Amino acid sequence: MIVTKSLKKSFNGIEVLKGIDQHIEKGEKVVIVGPSGSGKSTFLRCLNLLEVPTAGEVWFEGVNITSKECDINRLRQKMGMVFQQFNLFPHKTVRQNITMAPVTLGVMSQAEADKRAIELLTRVGLPEKADSYPRQLSGGQKQRVAIARALAMGPDVMLFDEPTSALDPEMVGEVLAIMRELAEEGMTMVVVTHEMSFAREVANRVLFMDDGQVKEENTPEEFFGNPKDARLQDFLSKVL
Amino acid sequence: MIAAGSWGAAFTRAFITDHRYLAYLGGLKTTALISVFAIILGILIGLVVAVGKVSAKGNRKLWLIGVICNIYTTVIRGTPVMVQLLIIYNLIFTSRNTNEIVVGAVCFGINSGAYVAEIIRAGLESVDRGQMEAGRSLGFSYLQSMRLIIVPQAVKNILPALGNELITLIKETSVAGVIAVTDLTKAAQYVGSVTFDILTPLFIAALTYLVIVLILTRLLKALEGRMSRSDRY
Repeated sequence: MIVTKSLKKSFNGIEVLKGIDQHIEKGEKVVIVGPSGSGKSTFLRCLNLLEVPTAGEVWFEGVNITSKECDINRLRQKMGMVFQQFNLFPHKTVRQNITMAPVTLGVMSQAEADKRAIELLTRVGLPEKADSYPRQLSGGQKQRVAIARALAMGPDVMLFDEPTSALDPEMVGEVLAIMRELAEEGMTMVVVTHEMSFAREVANRVLFMDDGQVKEENTPEEFFGNPKDARLQDFLSKVL
Repeated sequence: MIAAGSWGAAFTRAFITDHRYLAYLGGLKTTALISVFAIILGILIGLVVAVGKVSAKGNRKLWLIGVICNIYTTVIRGTPVMVQLLIIYNLIFTSRNTNEIVVGAVCFGINSGAYVAEIIRAGLESVDRGQMEAGRSLGFSYLQSMRLIIVPQAVKNILPALGNELITLIKETSVAGVIAVTDLTKAAQYVGSVTFDILTPLFIAALTYLVIVLILTRLLKALEGRMSRSDRY
């Protein structure tokens, strides 16, 4: 579903991604872990071109989205993204946050979108918050709304950029629970996270990124049970 | 009693006698006209320059636009408005039948545009980067994200500063007298030259400016209150 070919990204001459080749299949749950500054968030943001790669290609559903002719706005509709800082629109109610994109982009009528918003809010456990503003919500609630907002466009893949890193510890669980449900329903997911237990339970494949490269990738059992890369062994000894 | 009586007499002479209040009213009208047209022009110029600056930052091909906008704001903000007023009056509007009010409005508009540009630019840039990213990640184009997400949030930061700019502008137009415009300040000076009491008319003018500024400040507060609905807990 997503293929990257020798993907590279530099910021002001500093190479953050040093050539990443990845195939992410439909239905796969890929979890990316690694120390901060390893390039894992940059890699994720390159997948929907929030960061434009310096070199290499990204293919999504058979289309080279790094080519100039590609209508990236259309393709992004099929790639939901959840951010560390939630990035809800503070001037809109929860309901409007969810319905704005599908209605404006002509995917649904306002009535359909409103109905869908309530369904999605029910799914993330917040139907009573439809008319609240984001500031009235806790961090965990905000992130659940952000997930609902991304799902409203009916994406084929969901990208999560450290979705629980800005949350109070007691709110991490509620967000992870929704992500688990989503995974069980078969959503294709790429998750950058520090939650090792989530990686262990949900991932089909775990990637370890360090210094702009994928140093090791494996099933969670092998990844956590039998890590081979020395840097990964060191990393795991610190976080587990 | 004597002091109060003489104050009353001075006020009567400066304001009532020979319908002198009409002079202040006429001056006030000119001040208002110049200020209103100048702020409208200033907002138009400021909007264009701010958008020019913001887009030049993200796109190397637009570097020339960025340079022009920067020269404009630097020169205007770095020189006194009185000097600008005299230069524009003498250099550009040399024809005899120019309307001084138009000259004043254009000059103060050009001047205000530089400050408004910085206000709008700062307002747009004050909106968190993540908002644009969230908009783009949902499939909105750059312009859609600007219009639906960034601008509505930026307005909340821009409007109060814009109101302050209008207040500053109204006070600054008091130098318009140098190009033979009879604004409120100049009108007060005229009255003073007729009654040989210079101070009282100036106090009346000062009080008028103060009242206008206080009213505008009030309106601005009310507007801010209405706009911060989504900020409530």
